[in-house]
Amino acid sequence: MKVMTSRFGALEIDDDRIIDMPDGMIGFAERRFILLSPDNNGCFFWFQAVDNPALAFVVTDPTAFVPGYEVTLTPDEYEKLKLDPESADIILLAVTNIHHDSTSNITINLQGPVVVNPITMVAKQIVLENGKYGIRYPLFTSPAPEPSLKKEEERPADSPQKISAICSNI
Amino acid sequence: MLVLTRKVGDELYIGDRICVKVMGISGGKVRLGIDAPTSLRIYREEVLAKVKSENRFAAEWELTDFQKMVDHLPNNSRER
Repeated sequence: MKVMTSRFGALEIDDDRIIDMPDGMIGFAERRFILLSPDNNGCFFWFQAVDNPALAFVVTDPTAFVPGYEVTLTPDEYEKLKLDPESADIILLAVTNIHHDSTSNITINLQGPVVVNPITMVAKQIVLENGKYGIRYPLFTSPAPEPSLKKEEERPADSPQKISAICSNI
Repeated sequence: MLVLTRKVGDELYIGDRICVKVMGISGGKVRLGIDAPTSLRIYREEVLAKVKSENRFAAEWELTDFQKMVDHLPNNSRER
């Protein structure tokens, strides 16, 4: 189908790449989204609303930055995501923010991850209230003369999740 | 909105499975105990409000911000 976007113009997207969010992103009514992967995306993706050209978030795979990051879903959430608790094959996306205050700090929201069922393409934003994960987990400062992630082990790993299987290249 | 008055130690039920108990009151704060199925997430209002406001803020990315971020990623973290 054709998706109009304010940032990338009109895009032709396969119907099976459309993600349904019955509850929307928290605070927003839009319920259909697509994941867009620009060339040279540096493991970040655009989470673009299908029915609102101007609405797009930047998301990334939190598990690439935070080893051991995990989300425990409730039975209701399994049901909403049409997810089989036996297989539990999910993709987690963290909403990314850029802070223009003094330096352009990049943070990701670990407290409100978006959980996607890649089989049914149903997603839900979950709020975690266990005090374990913060809403502004700092990734790095951009631009930075000396990137804060210098050590080998601190670099984001190759995305352990299969986001590429559900996104559209642009 | 239904408004009820309860004393410390009193309980109230929401449906058959959710029980809210007033545990104590001190210094203008009310301590509540909640018994509810684990299938329900219980949040403090401000946590939900924080996620909502973080989402609003996150909806303001410009293409140039994205490019700037990717261009300045630490070495070797680019996917392709």
